[in-house]
Amino acid sequence: MDETPVVRIRGLVKNYKDVHAVRGIDLDIPKGSLFGLIGSDGAGKSSTMKTVAGVMSYDAGSVNVFGNLIDSESAAERIKLRLGFMPQGLGQNLYPDLSIEENINFFARLRLVKSEDLGERKEKLLRMTRLDKFRDRAMKNLSGGMKQKLGLVCTLIHEPELVILDEPTTGVDPVSRRDFWAILAELLAEKGITALVSTAYMDEASRFHSAALMHHGRILATGEIESLLRMAPGTVASVAAQPQLEALKRLRGRFEQVVALGNYLRVFVPEQTADAEHVVRDVLKGLDVTEVQTDTPELEDVYVSLLELNGEGQAVRELPSPPEGTVIHLDPNAPVIEAVNLVRDFGAFRAVDHVSFEVRPGEIFGLLGANGAGKTTVIKMLTGILRPSEGAGSVAGADMRHSGSTIKKRIGYMSQAFSLYLDLSVVENIRLYAGIYAVPQREIEPRLRWIVDLAGLEGMENALTGSLPMGLRQRLALGCALVHRPPILFLDEPTSGVDPMGRREFWDVLFRLSRQEGVGLLVTTHYMVEAEYCDRIALMHAGKVVAYDSPAGLKADVEKRFGQLLEIRCENPYRAQSVLRDHGFEDATLFGRRVQVLARDAEAVKNDVRKVLDAAKISVQSIGRLPLTMENVFVQNVLDLEHKAGLAA
Amino acid sequence: MSGRFGEILQHMRVMTLKELLQFRRDVFLLIIVVYAFSADIYVAGSGIEMELKHAALTVADYDQSSASRDLIYSFREPQFKLQGMEMNADRAMDMLDSGKTMLYLEIPANFNKALLSGDPAQIQLLVDTSNSVLGSLATSYAAQIVAGYGVQRAMERLSVAGAMGGSMPMVNSAHRVWFNPNGLDRWFVPINEMLTMITMLSIMLPAAAMVREKERGTVEQLLVSPLTPLEIMLPKVFAMTMVILLGVTVTVYGVLGPIFHIPFRGNVFLFYTLTAIYVFSTAGFGLAISTVVNNLAQVGLMVIMLLSPMLMLSGTFVPPEAMPTVLGYLMLLSPLHHFIEIVMGILLKGVGLDVLWPSVLGMFLLGGAVFGFGTWRFRRQFG
Repeated sequence: MDETPVVRIRGLVKNYKDVHAVRGIDLDIPKGSLFGLIGSDGAGKSSTMKTVAGVMSYDAGSVNVFGNLIDSESAAERIKLRLGFMPQGLGQNLYPDLSIEENINFFARLRLVKSEDLGERKEKLLRMTRLDKFRDRAMKNLSGGMKQKLGLVCTLIHEPELVILDEPTTGVDPVSRRDFWAILAELLAEKGITALVSTAYMDEASRFHSAALMHHGRILATGEIESLLRMAPGTVASVAAQPQLEALKRLRGRFEQVVALGNYLRVFVPEQTADAEHVVRDVLKGLDVTEVQTDTPELEDVYVSLLELNGEGQAVRELPSPPEGTVIHLDPNAPVIEAVNLVRDFGAFRAVDHVSFEVRPGEIFGLLGANGAGKTTVIKMLTGILRPSEGAGSVAGADMRHSGSTIKKRIGYMSQAFSLYLDLSVVENIRLYAGIYAVPQREIEPRLRWIVDLAGLEGMENALTGSLPMGLRQRLALGCALVHRPPILFLDEPTSGVDPMGRREFWDVLFRLSRQEGVGLLVTTHYMVEAEYCDRIALMHAGKVVAYDSPAGLKADVEKRFGQLLEIRCENPYRAQSVLRDHGFEDATLFGRRVQVLARDAEAVKNDVRKVLDAAKISVQSIGRLPLTMENVFVQNVLDLEHKAGLAA
Repeated sequence: MSGRFGEILQHMRVMTLKELLQFRRDVFLLIIVVYAFSADIYVAGSGIEMELKHAALTVADYDQSSASRDLIYSFREPQFKLQGMEMNADRAMDMLDSGKTMLYLEIPANFNKALLSGDPAQIQLLVDTSNSVLGSLATSYAAQIVAGYGVQRAMERLSVAGAMGGSMPMVNSAHRVWFNPNGLDRWFVPINEMLTMITMLSIMLPAAAMVREKERGTVEQLLVSPLTPLEIMLPKVFAMTMVILLGVTVTVYGVLGPIFHIPFRGNVFLFYTLTAIYVFSTAGFGLAISTVVNNLAQVGLMVIMLLSPMLMLSGTFVPPEAMPTVLGYLMLLSPLHHFIEIVMGILLKGVGLDVLWPSVLGMFLLGGAVFGFGTWRFRRQFG
């Protein structure tokens, strides 16, 4: 790009009192690009975006937008009509009591859109977002995905040259996320606008043309996605080996990045592919290695490698042995959770429809689904808060239909909010839960030490919980949930808001808990990457379990039913996508500058794609195979069901 | 089995402790409570005066006689304060309009002559009654003073005439003001203010404690724990009752006694017991509120909505017998009304249960109903 960048940032610094949100960053955003700011909460993404949008002042450095230096209120005012800003949070900028159409009209008038332009623009955007059928529905009655789409429409109604979207996909289910990206890509290609989008999901990086990886107010790396991926050359090996804990220990002794994903251990081998499998097998000599599979690294591997270069590598903590004392004993061969045809009706609405699954001791079980899929209702029934309308089940050896109070004593529960009292200290929180779960007085002290040790909170025992960083809070919440040494732990969206490193460390603790202590874990999440950590998964949609297997099994099933994933690198990918769609590849999807299709017969499809694109005079650089992700699994299953439901109706 | 009972006790203990710790760290609520039980009572007691004091009196004496001077000097401190003469009627009107004087007394030129001749003597008194209480007090005092002066002059005339001097029909009222011998608003107002604050905080604090859990999502965690809804709810009420009783102690022994010299004539134990019961039962409103609102701001609005009818019907502003009949009966439904009777009885009259039992019974019944309602709403919410 030889044009001057739409946004040019030099040495930007932003402080909130003594918190350094942005610590001197340089950034160029070329015209027409889809640029990503990737990082976890507190990385400095929002602050950067707000200064670019001209809604926040900064302390040092310079921010140029459209060639204007944004250094005052009036300078910010001059560019405001040329950009659109959507703040973080579902529907944060919208009015809950206004309908979809009223919201759009309001923003159009606010942005001085001429009424003759408004009608046409509005219809087009409503059609694209498939919101046209709901135009009279109040915003507060929309789903998360619909709210975000409406937010996007309102941000785009004045046809800005630059759109700034702060975490638009956080909390949105994978299918809506996919829609959202498709709409954005289409608008970018058609209107030639530039988009600056932030995300906390590493797996969304492939959606961007270029990105900056942010961490603690600094940029770790920036550039086109392909060049970012080349920053950490190496191979990712997925290993299935027994005994798993011993394999983990040996690999950790040799490699920096080793993660336990269900039955697999994922190792980042910083060498060439040819050697990787050999090296890994060498390290694991003498163990029962059943499978070694190699792949190219993902952006998260790059991110973590860069953090390690910064000296912020993963802290590997051994799980401290729990103290002697009262433990809840269950039959070690019986499942810790057994759900048989659970049904729950709310009036005429069936929230949960004949759900069955079981969780074994020492297993990490994932309950996956979008908001409203029925996960929460299932959890409420299993934890004894809600009675099932039909069906049966047992949790921790107690019948869930009438032993709610017994179940509550035997389970541990950690919620999304981490359920800690932020105005109580670490020790006060632990003591409170010890009291609630009736831990005998003489055992409280050893358990308190154990939890402090497990959460890595030595020396912070009397700190107020609110002053701890998210990662530590999360581990303290886990500790509090374990205070009565339950044989089952429920984790409801446990890692939202935690950075990738913190997430890896947390899952490491969970893995050891399941393998060393034999605790059964039931995890709910809509975060697809998280699902890879589970041994087995039940995928829920519209109140039903639509898939129930290990992640590898689910992927194999999708591959069998819909084909394997191919990635096409070519020039003008947006046109390539529409050409492919016109020629029978209806699932062709644009990811950044690449197009993905599913192929049952990979070789035949490769040939067909080349033929179609050659005919359209689009030169193809490469067509390669990509491993399926859990997101593909989710989206394919749900789309298939919706398709079938559509045919039936 | 004592195991279950021990568990309940342990739950109550740790949860109550938790509430107290959280309250101690909530600077905002802490300031409200400290203010409500100290400065607010002091301001109410010393600021709100329903007594006529130093009311400015301006006079136009066209008579300039000894009789007119006698009458003028009958308007004395502390009720009245003679501010001076103003013979110009227009300027006098301005003074009334601008509030520089509260009363304007005009004595016509033939005042003394009329008195001497036995004709009815006319004077005119203009009173600013924009503050109706003070205005009517001033009017009635002035009427008493003038009437007294008239009677005095008449008596003088009669005794001069010597006719039937000792056998004039006169009623001599010897009244004794009881319980608040000086009729001081300083006693009535701060006690009332304390009771209002008790009521407000007994609703607000438990509601705030509950809503805080909702706002932060911790209630979810409590619901999946072995705590029953009652074990979640009661410790909040216990803890807040303790806080309020502490506040009441500060008010009674730190403000009412030392500053306003209000006596504590009754039984201390009875006072605390009945106050605790009142606070506990009124908390039922708070619990009911917490089931319908989602944040602290809404708690505040709901407290105002609930408090104003409770105060109106409490007898603080208007005694029941002065209310329209229907409202008078409705007052019996205000727990605060009964509580006021009880506290005034114990503090000022020094009476016990033998006298107060109807109010205590009323408070018990109403409080029980309120608390029952709150509990029902609370349990149903999580049912």
